[in-house]
Amino acid sequence: MSRSPSLPAALRAPQAARAGGLVLLAVAAWLLPYQLNVYWISVADIAILFALLAVGMGLVMGVAGQVNLAQIAFFGVGAYTTAILTTRDGYGFWTAAVLAMIATALAGVVVGTPALRVQSHYLGIVTLGLAVAFIDWITNAPVTNGDSGISGIPAPPLLGINLSSQYLYYYLELIVLAGGLAFGLFIVHTPLGRRMRAMRDDPLAASAAATEIRPLRMIAFVLASVYGGAAGVLYAGMIGYIAPETFSIADMFLLLAMVIIGGRRSLAGCVIGAVVLTVVQQQLINLAAYAQLGYGLVVVAVVVFAPAGLVGIPGRFRSLYRRWRGSTGTSAVLEPFRPLPVAPAAAAGVTPGEPLLEVSHLVRRFRGVTALDDISLTVRAGEILGIVGPNGSGKTTLFNVISGFYRPHGGAITLNGRPVSGMRPSQVSRLGVARTFQHLRLFGNLTVADNMLVSLDRTRTWWSWRYLCWPFGIWRYDRALKRRAAELLADFGLAQFAGMLPGTLPYGIQRRLELARAIAGAPRLLLLDEPAAGLNGEERAQLAMIVRSIRDSGVTVVLIEHNMGLVMSLCERIVVLDSGLVIAEGLPAQVSSDPAVLEAYLGKSAVPSPRASEAPQASEASQ
Amino acid sequence: MRTRGLTRDTGPTGNHGGGDGQLLSVSELAVRYGGVSAVRSVSFTVAPGQAVGLIGANGAGKTSTLRALMGLVPRAAGSVWFGDRDLAKVPARDMVRLGIGYVPEGRHVFPGLTVEKNLLLGAYARRWDGATRDTLSTVYELFPVLAEMRGRLAGALSGGQQQMLAIGRALMARPVLLLLDEPSMGLSPRLVEIIGETLRRLRDEGLSLLLVEQNAMLTFETTTDCLVLENGEIALSGPAAELSRNSRVRSIYIGV
Amino acid sequence: MERSSPLASLPSGDDEAVQSFFQTLVSGLSFGAVYALVALGFSLVYRTMGLVNFAHGAVLTIGAYVASTFYLSARLPFAVAVPAAMAVTAAIGLVIERVLRPLENKDFDLMLIGTIGAGTVLEAAAILIWSSSGRGVSSPVQTTPFDVGGVRIPAYNVVVIAVTAVAMAALTLFLQRTKRGAAMQAVAMDHEAATAVGIHVGRSNAISFAIGAALAALAGALVGPMLYVSPTMGDSLGIDGFAAAILGGFGSIPGAIVGGLGIGVIGAFAAQSFQGYSDLVTFVVFTVLVMIRPTGIFGERTVNRA
Repeated sequence: MSRSPSLPAALRAPQAARAGGLVLLAVAAWLLPYQLNVYWISVADIAILFALLAVGMGLVMGVAGQVNLAQIAFFGVGAYTTAILTTRDGYGFWTAAVLAMIATALAGVVVGTPALRVQSHYLGIVTLGLAVAFIDWITNAPVTNGDSGISGIPAPPLLGINLSSQYLYYYLELIVLAGGLAFGLFIVHTPLGRRMRAMRDDPLAASAAATEIRPLRMIAFVLASVYGGAAGVLYAGMIGYIAPETFSIADMFLLLAMVIIGGRRSLAGCVIGAVVLTVVQQQLINLAAYAQLGYGLVVVAVVVFAPAGLVGIPGRFRSLYRRWRGSTGTSAVLEPFRPLPVAPAAAAGVTPGEPLLEVSHLVRRFRGVTALDDISLTVRAGEILGIVGPNGSGKTTLFNVISGFYRPHGGAITLNGRPVSGMRPSQVSRLGVARTFQHLRLFGNLTVADNMLVSLDRTRTWWSWRYLCWPFGIWRYDRALKRRAAELLADFGLAQFAGMLPGTLPYGIQRRLELARAIAGAPRLLLLDEPAAGLNGEERAQLAMIVRSIRDSGVTVVLIEHNMGLVMSLCERIVVLDSGLVIAEGLPAQVSSDPAVLEAYLGKSAVPSPRASEAPQASEASQ
Repeated sequence: MRTRGLTRDTGPTGNHGGGDGQLLSVSELAVRYGGVSAVRSVSFTVAPGQAVGLIGANGAGKTSTLRALMGLVPRAAGSVWFGDRDLAKVPARDMVRLGIGYVPEGRHVFPGLTVEKNLLLGAYARRWDGATRDTLSTVYELFPVLAEMRGRLAGALSGGQQQMLAIGRALMARPVLLLLDEPSMGLSPRLVEIIGETLRRLRDEGLSLLLVEQNAMLTFETTTDCLVLENGEIALSGPAAELSRNSRVRSIYIGV
Repeated sequence: MERSSPLASLPSGDDEAVQSFFQTLVSGLSFGAVYALVALGFSLVYRTMGLVNFAHGAVLTIGAYVASTFYLSARLPFAVAVPAAMAVTAAIGLVIERVLRPLENKDFDLMLIGTIGAGTVLEAAAILIWSSSGRGVSSPVQTTPFDVGGVRIPAYNVVVIAVTAVAMAALTLFLQRTKRGAAMQAVAMDHEAATAVGIHVGRSNAISFAIGAALAALAGALVGPMLYVSPTMGDSLGIDGFAAAILGGFGSIPGAIVGGLGIGVIGAFAAQSFQGYSDLVTFVVFTVLVMIRPTGIFGERTVNRA
């Protein structure tokens, strides 16, 4: 039986219509200078530079979710390095340009380093502070001529073309922008960009899907800096004169406004925002304060009412229209689950019945509360193990320590004999551990197919060097991922939803997607945290069937559940936790009649029984 | 040990419940989160001076019911009446002014403030005057350990102490009806007994209780009538004494 | 930001070094007091609303302009002009909070950007109302400077430090001793539990924001006679104040004071030793310190583990 269905629409390459539209756009852009007078061509030249800066911002802020208020400094590093090397040291323009790009990339590493430690507003103030530091330097350093600036920067020589003409320079800039935009889009729609978007949407779930967060953040900043530096090099060559006033904090905020108003998550939006605001700013150059007032108000309005920016507006009209028509959105249907190919656990490199995961004397505390109080248990390869216990007994904490989100304060965890406690979540994930979450953690701004693709991608981040040297390899790998994703989506009955966003789907389907995504990582051990929560009876029955099929395909399953009917029928062995301790373990029938278990769940009877008065009040210590 | 002064003499309409005499009337309440139905349809009443229990396994919809009553999550359907007042129009922050006290799941004390400040904030809706000071000393008599720790930061207290603080904070407003969400969670059996004793005493003083719990036994000992929730609906209901002997309760929890 | 060299002419000798040190210290502490006020405003808003307000610097600018307008044009006594400016700016703060309220407790990064937008609007408004040329404000305290062992301390600087101390004491009293102050802190710690005890979270946030704005205005009004009042003055003062708040531990009141004085002193010595590069040095030092200890000296954690 063929297991390679045709790729769903969402996974196929862009249609002919889109390609046609792009050609038209390219032709229009090429012919534009013929329509423009001297004033407008200079506006166009500036607009393209801002567009280049904006694309860099879009990559780091919109795609990777990192706050970056230092973009103007990258612009400055590129411009000043070019200027200094050409005017003071006599380098040729292109040599200086290459060196300037290297300098900017280094600046990107410097600015990106704090991002490894801090995020959000801290990162905002640090990047802003570094930008201020840079501005301070260029205003005062002798080598930059301070406020007077540097003049006499030569125009780039190019095959005899006179690039000191703004009309011809336009074409140089256009080519760089087109290349930069294409590269940016290539990144966004291939594994690296997908991982960045996953990291932006949910860093926790991303790291549980083998995404290395820190290297990604650094790459994002270096990308932003390279785009900024390129814009700086072009700017220096175009105007021939640079001064600190071009690289002000006010311009940084203008750039931020461009990206927000255009739509930071879409690179096309960033370009549109840059072009629109440049035109507005240039037109209102004599009313600069009014312009500033205007774009400040628009930023606030966009942030409160239309966070996706200008490019998001058509989408909002579309969903408003759909709601007005009363349709519930989709006619796509959940197809039946196709049992996965059977394979004994031996195929995954483990011997059935032998211990796969061993937890010994695990301790984890939070602010005085001991969530895990010396827990020891063994998971045997090929089994379905259930973990149950009252609210607050430590079940999810146990999963979180095993996955690597928390370091244990005591004890050890070994996976197939290999110690894993204290490892980062992405490392644990790469060793073959996958999980789902109690409160559903899907990547909300990625399509169903993209959610799968992120998890399927098991390469290390440094593998991304191919983007620079061998993009064809990336493209081929991406196609292989997409074929595999299509198979898995079909197995789980999700093929019709491939192009949709998870938030629009019914809850049961989202749950199934999270399960499919976890399996996509080809794990040896699957941790399911309350997979039946919120499911109705029929969905629960299907879940049981899916879990059994997963086990039969060679994956060991551990699940936390409260629905005791499901646990009893599905699990071969059960471990019962209460207040951070294991109070019972064994076969379902044994455990369900264990008095300690009954007491943990139902509570102690008020009438003191002889047994109760003998039992030591050991749990006093947990107060 | 005095506990008088912790409950009001008058209910929301000047007497113990107006309307049909019930203090709280819940009718076909439904709660949805996104696409999930956490509560499908729940109906019950609490009479003045009555203690009602709401039990069930985790995920059955108990906490969602309580949060919907308090207005902390929107109600997808159904109506809630407090005396003769329709709670649909009352924002969550005004519940306490009507006489409804709330002890959230997981305690939710204000960790960076002292025990005493936490308790005083419980009386936020009242003036901080002599009467409030009297209520404060009554709470300290009810929970002597809080009096000992009155200057400590609430975040430094143990789980059991925080639970007492959360209950004390709710009592500071002198409520007519007290809603409690899993007060026994994470506590040792001895502390659970203490909580149970305290609740029984409050009940005997005339405070109406709606107790949501996973711990069925505690509920049976503290309340007079119970409802057992399963998958967002009421599976069983009746007097606590009867339900404590009902083997179906066990099967709902344990699955056999 | 301009910092003039504090030494015009001095007798030579070993005393010179010590005097120079203390002179720089005094200058650093005076500016540090202003940064501390700015940091107080940042920390208060963060502590009670969980919001980082990038409009704080622009609010400071507005406060400086309004105060100097009341003082110079309306000829009100300085001691009246300043509270009046604080009231006006507090009202502006209320408006900003109301507009951005839908984002509270939801999307953090968007809220950040929203405040940047609001700050941009305020700065543009300042240029439109008062022109971009800026103005000098004469010192309201026209007495001769104190001379302590050869170290010259302008009387006005003493006033600034005293006012800052009073502001900190008043704010601490307000937060620790009043019902409203306790409620504001409770809202930041657990806004649902706060709602359950009857606190109006939106109103509490509005008051927090208004007080934060008033503190920024106070800082701006006080710094007017020390610096030039210009539409962009809030930029650098805001950044310095923000760095001070983070350094001391974001959300902590004593932290804001320590951080503010710290940044002021670091800046003064950097200006002394590195001339024009004071900003550069300050921020490199700041970046290193934040990476070593993101919590700040007294404050709270936001470090990721992934």
